[in-house]
Amino acid sequence: MTTIDTDVLVIGSGAGGAVTAFLLAQGGRDVTVVEEGPWIDPDAMEPFSLEEMVAKYRHRPAAALGSPTIAYAEGRCVGGSTEINSGLYHRLPGYLAEAWRDEFDIDEFGPDALDAYAKRIEAELAVSRLPGAPPPSSALLERGATKLGWRAVEFARVFRYDTAGRGVKQTMTRTLVPRAVDAGATVVPNCRVLRVLRRDGRAIGARCRRTEDGRVEDLDIRADHVFVCGGAIQTPAILHRSGVRGRVGAGLKVHPMIKIAARFPHPVDHGGVPMQVITEFGPNLSIGGSASRRGQVAMALAESSPDFEEALADWEHVSVYYAAIRTEGAGRVIGVPGLRAPVVTYRLTEADLSRLARGLVHLGEALLAAGATELYPSVRGGPVVRRPEGLVDWWSSVTRSRANLMTVHLTSTVRMGQARSRTGTDSFGRVWGVRNLRVNDASLLPDAPGVNPQGAIMALAARNCEQFLSEA
Amino acid sequence: MSAGSNGRAPTAVVTGAAGWLGQNLVRALAPERERVRCLVHGADDAPLLEVVGPSIEVVVGDVRDPATADRLFDGVRAPAVFHAAAVIHPESTVRELFDVNVGGTDLMLDRARRADAARFVHVSSNSPFGTNATPTDRFTEDSPYDPYLEYGRSKLEAEEFVQRAHERGDVETVIVRAPWFYGPYQPARQTQFFAAVRRGRFPLVGDGSQQRSMVFTGNLVDGLLRAEATAAAAGRAYWIADAEPYELRAILAGVRTALEAEGLAVSERRLRLPALAATVAEGVDRVLQGRGRYVQPVHVLGELGHTIACDISRARAELGYEPATGLVEGMRASVRWCLERGEQL
Repeated sequence: MTTIDTDVLVIGSGAGGAVTAFLLAQGGRDVTVVEEGPWIDPDAMEPFSLEEMVAKYRHRPAAALGSPTIAYAEGRCVGGSTEINSGLYHRLPGYLAEAWRDEFDIDEFGPDALDAYAKRIEAELAVSRLPGAPPPSSALLERGATKLGWRAVEFARVFRYDTAGRGVKQTMTRTLVPRAVDAGATVVPNCRVLRVLRRDGRAIGARCRRTEDGRVEDLDIRADHVFVCGGAIQTPAILHRSGVRGRVGAGLKVHPMIKIAARFPHPVDHGGVPMQVITEFGPNLSIGGSASRRGQVAMALAESSPDFEEALADWEHVSVYYAAIRTEGAGRVIGVPGLRAPVVTYRLTEADLSRLARGLVHLGEALLAAGATELYPSVRGGPVVRRPEGLVDWWSSVTRSRANLMTVHLTSTVRMGQARSRTGTDSFGRVWGVRNLRVNDASLLPDAPGVNPQGAIMALAARNCEQFLSEA
Repeated sequence: MSAGSNGRAPTAVVTGAAGWLGQNLVRALAPERERVRCLVHGADDAPLLEVVGPSIEVVVGDVRDPATADRLFDGVRAPAVFHAAAVIHPESTVRELFDVNVGGTDLMLDRARRADAARFVHVSSNSPFGTNATPTDRFTEDSPYDPYLEYGRSKLEAEEFVQRAHERGDVETVIVRAPWFYGPYQPARQTQFFAAVRRGRFPLVGDGSQQRSMVFTGNLVDGLLRAEATAAAAGRAYWIADAEPYELRAILAGVRTALEAEGLAVSERRLRLPALAATVAEGVDRVLQGRGRYVQPVHVLGELGHTIACDISRARAELGYEPATGLVEGMRASVRWCLERGEQL
């Protein structure tokens, strides 16, 4: 078995891992990053294409069990979910920072503290607004909102624009991963962590399994410090496989989304993801647009109605939109030794289901106001709605057995804070009970932020790195 | 704002107009407003209201329905909106509480904003506040939220929407929190309550010293009209109830007195239940509601052991509200209403 020695081992290379690797390498530490997925050239594939989904997503039937099940998507590649998400950027809302600090007793945490780190991240990634007019799929949401008098905003994105106005999403493989390598970090792709190695109450590295050219090799990486940054599903699973339990894995939070494939009397663009978001019903309900290439349109139509062939033939006139909620209910991740995939469960309350139904009705109002002629909800059996009079039927359609829900935002499985009975780590991500073992990703967020969490994860990770560098 | 000099809008929109409160409110509004647009759920309810007066315009539909909401506000400018539609006892599942109480409020606030409503008077409840710690404790408007089960949670979320709409300038709002009603146009459950008291079958839980605020519908209507008309009430919340809370045993005695005063014989029987029974019922209710189920008798019994009492000082000071009708007088009016309709008590 090969053994590698390093000062800092970072497990995972997404929003949390890439920030950690970059800042610690820049801080003069010897950093090794292991990533389960492959390292794919960011220019090699069309964004949001099926080819990209096949290459960069984690593949297995990934759904949180419960009634209803909630399908979830995770990146499994260098750069993690930053490679596949919409790139919408949002700082953690200040009121949540305050509420979390108070509820979980988080030291040195609050809007001002986090904003300082957010500014650095924004400068590093080029967070920006669209230089020109929004694409039709996005402008339609704005039109619907304007007609109804609803608040809508264009979200900033981690995009860099050239002089011609063409934007490129600033994923981690375009930004912090190469910069970490430039600062001396080593990235080992195709390398899955089996478990964290411990001795005498402290982490001393990880047992990994690397796959290269079809060859499988076990690998021990010895490290003085271990940062687990696998995201809210994989991080608790790795900790469980390593014998770390406590509150780890409990309290999973997601933003369940219910969708509508909307057909318009004119063609709609399909290359990007809308950046307009209807904020009228925030903070617990938000409305926006989804990736709408042919594959996504087909899936969305099929979820609704058995009679979707005709609409699918007209797919260039169809675009997919969502309503997403913050939930009262929560879930759990359980890593089972010997099983590759953790068991993930999620429980929605009746209030949550009602909120989803309300979101669907509001989304339908906005799309009809924007000129849509047919609405296919992600509800088995629909009904397909063509006029405002039909929207009311969706209240009774959105049930546990008929709603098709999915999520891309997964958080809160190893919550941080000094309230030890309810958290998995202290205020800076140090895992309770195991020295030199830290978590630094979406798992730490005490609750779902109600917006794309990437900005919050990155600012938080940067904060924790600074604390680490100041102490270790 | 097109409110007259007395602060009362010429046009009123009333949701839940065929309900217990709605029927009373519409009868107060009908003679003094140019138009009273009424939302009712069932087509059968329309004729009941249309007879009230020429200003009444009934819209039949679902308060969660965007198309119904459009019809309700169609051609209406700067109305006073009285949002009384809500579900308190769902038929079987708690989902309905959120769909109607939260979803309906959300939609009505949106349409009130679009219609430039002069004011949105929201009918809320004691349930976002839970139960009092002791029989002499009183809720004020500054008491912390502590919702009682799923109905409480749904009414709390509705209040939050109302407050948000006011704070961000969508529409001027006032929240009126009312406890247990009594008065004419009562639903079947209240008639059953009278009948049970008359036959000595309504249980006195514990020693009956737990206190309950109640509100006579006439008093509540007065409070709602004041909430609409008082300029300084904008953005505020008020408890509207009878002058003082009553001990549970005094409420039962009051009902007996009212029944006798209206010529009905009352049984000498007194059914008593230990306080434990209510505690057990509350536990069962929590388990059921946690699974989405709602069973009304269990819920009602579970609540009976508690004190739920409020202090109306702020409404007195700021709205000039003074409850005109007391327990026995109000209960007599209710009994007479039942008898006039030929109901079996």
